[in-house]
Amino acid sequence: MSKAARGSGGLAWALVGPTLLLLIAFNVFPLVYNVVSSFTNAELIGGDSRWVGGAQYTRVFDDDLFGGALRRTALFVVCAVAVEMLLGFVLALSLQREFRGKQAVLTALLVPMMLSPAVMGLFWNLVLNGNYGIVNHALAALGFDPPQWLTDRDLKFWSILMIDVWMWTPFMMLISLAGLSSIPTSIYEAAQIDRASAWKVFTRITLPMCGPVLGLAVLFRATDALKQFDLVMAVTGPNDGATQTLSTLLYQVVFRDGKVGLGAAFSCVILVVVIALATVFTRYIDRVQARDGV
Amino acid sequence: MNALEVRGIAKSFGEVEALRGVDLVVGAREFLVVLGPTGAGKTTLLRTIAGLEAPDRGEIALFGASAANTPPAQRDVALVFQNFSLYPSKTVRENLAFPLLAPGRRLAATEIEERVKWAAGLLHIERLLDRPARKLSGGEMQRVAIGRAIVRRPKLFLMDEPLTNLDAKLREELRVELRELARRLETPVVWVTHDSAEALSMADRVAALVEGRILQVGTPEELYFRPVSPVVARQLGSPPMNLVDAKASGGSWRLASGVALGPASPGSPDDARIGFRPEHVDLEGGESEASVEVVEDLGPQRVVVLNWGGVSVHAALSRRTDLHVHQKVRPRVGPEHLVVWPRAH
Repeated sequence: MSKAARGSGGLAWALVGPTLLLLIAFNVFPLVYNVVSSFTNAELIGGDSRWVGGAQYTRVFDDDLFGGALRRTALFVVCAVAVEMLLGFVLALSLQREFRGKQAVLTALLVPMMLSPAVMGLFWNLVLNGNYGIVNHALAALGFDPPQWLTDRDLKFWSILMIDVWMWTPFMMLISLAGLSSIPTSIYEAAQIDRASAWKVFTRITLPMCGPVLGLAVLFRATDALKQFDLVMAVTGPNDGATQTLSTLLYQVVFRDGKVGLGAAFSCVILVVVIALATVFTRYIDRVQARDGV
Repeated sequence: MNALEVRGIAKSFGEVEALRGVDLVVGAREFLVVLGPTGAGKTTLLRTIAGLEAPDRGEIALFGASAANTPPAQRDVALVFQNFSLYPSKTVRENLAFPLLAPGRRLAATEIEERVKWAAGLLHIERLLDRPARKLSGGEMQRVAIGRAIVRRPKLFLMDEPLTNLDAKLREELRVELRELARRLETPVVWVTHDSAEALSMADRVAALVEGRILQVGTPEELYFRPVSPVVARQLGSPPMNLVDAKASGGSWRLASGVALGPASPGSPDDARIGFRPEHVDLEGGESEASVEVVEDLGPQRVVVLNWGGVSVHAALSRRTDLHVHQKVRPRVGPEHLVVWPRAH
C-alpha cells in the first residue's frame, strides 16, 4: 500500500470514526443488549439475571395482553390514518380556492397539530370528563343521555382515536394542500379546454397527480400512529385493557412491573413487526420513485 | 365567415394593463401570427379567446356568434400551452384520447383509436404511444400537446409559443411541419410568438402586438418592408432594422453629426426617424465614410457593425465580402429602401 493511500485511509477513519462510535453506542449496543436481555430473566430492581433461553418468548406469545395490544394498535393505525386522510383531503380540497379569511381559517385548523400530545390528552380529559366535561354538559342540556367517554370499556378506545383524529387531521390537510397546489393550474385549464367534466378532472387529474404525496402522508402518519403512547398515557394510563397499545404495554411491563427480560422479548417481537411494515413502506416509496423518476 | 373577430378587448390584472383595446380578425382558413415581445399581452389575448380569462371590455365572436357567455369547453377551440400542460401520469395514448372522452361527445372506442393513430402518425409519435407523458423529451411533449389539440378537430387552433421550449433544429423542423399540417386540416390558427422568424415563415398575416395594443396587421412582407412605426420595425428581422434620427437638408438625409445618409425625396419631413434593413446596406458608393467596428460571421451571412457618423449601423453582407475591423468603407442605402417616419416635436 502506498503512503498516500495509507494516509487517506487514516483520514477516512478519523472522519467516519466519531459517527461510527456514536452509532455503536446509541444504536447497535442497545439493540444487542436488548436481544441478550430477552433471553434472561432480568428485573428492573435487584435480583440476579439468569439465562432462561426462549422462555420469555414463550411468555410473550402465551400472553393475551400482547395479542390484544397488537390487534388494538393495528386497528388504531388503520382507523386513525384512514379517517385523518379522508378528512384532511376533503378539508384541503375545500381550502384550495381563495376566500376571505382563508389564512385565519388555516391557522385555526393547524393549532391542534402544534400542541403537545400529552397536553392534548389532559385537555381532552377535561372536555370529555363524564361528570363535569363540557361535551356531556352540552349533551345533557340537549336532552341526550351523556356517555362515559373515557371510562366506558367500549368507548374509551374510540375516544382516544377521536382525539388523535382531531390532532392529526390538520397534518394530513397540510400535506394534501401541498400535493394539490403542486398541480399546475394550466393542467386544469387544459382539461377545461378538453371539455372534461368535474368528476373526470378529479379522478383523472387531481387524484393521480397528488397520489404519491398522499401515500407519503399516510406512511408518515402510520409510522407515528404505530407508536401511539402519549394520548393513551394521558387519557387512561398504560395498564387499561381496553386501550393498551404496544408502546404502553411495553412501558407497563418494563417500568411498572419491572420485568426487563420479558419487556426485551416484547420489544424484539415488536421490532420484527415494525421491520415488516417498514419493508412494505420502502417498497412503496421505491415504486413511486421508479414510476415518477424522482 | 371569419373564424374569429376580436373587438376592443381590454384586460387588466390589478395595476397591470395586459390588453388595451385589441381588434383582430382571423379568416376562415387563415394562419395568423401574433408577434410581440415578452409581456406584450400575447398569452392573455389567447387565453381570452379561449375563454380562460373574461375580458374587462370588448367582445369576441367565434364563427359569427358572440362568445361572451360561452365557457371554454363549449367554444370548440384547442389551445396548445407554452408549457405543454400534458397530463403527466397518463401515457401519450391517454393524453391524446382525453379530449375525445368529453361527456356528451364521447366517441366510439374504435373511432377514438383511429383518431389517436391518425394524430400520432401525423406528428411521428407512434412509437411513444405507451410511454408516460412525464418521460418524454421537450420536443416529444410538444408534439403530444399539439396532437392533443388536433385529435378533436376543433374549429380554431390557439397556439401559445409552441416552439419556444425546443432546440433550434427541432424548432425549424416543426415550423415547416406545423405550417403544412394547418394547411392540410384547413383549420384557422392563431399562433403567438416572440420569434420573428416564425412570424415571417409561417404567417398568412402577422399582427404586431406591443404593450397590449396591436400596432399593425399585414402580410409578413408588409410588416418587414413597410412597418408603420419604429416599434414594429424592431420586432422583425435578425439583426433588426437600423433606426436612425436624421434631418433633411440640401436634398440629403443627414445624421446629427452632419454625415449624409442618402438622398431625401422631395416633400420629405424635415425631421425624421429613418429605418433601413441591414441587408440593404452596401459598403461602397456612399457619400460619406464609416469604419468597421465588429465583424460577425453567421454562417451564410456576415454581419458588420459600422460606426457611421457616430451612429451604430448593422449591415448584413454576403460571406465572401472581405472585411476587417477598423477598415474604412463608404456605406450606401438605396433611397427606395429607406422607411421614413416623421418625428413629432
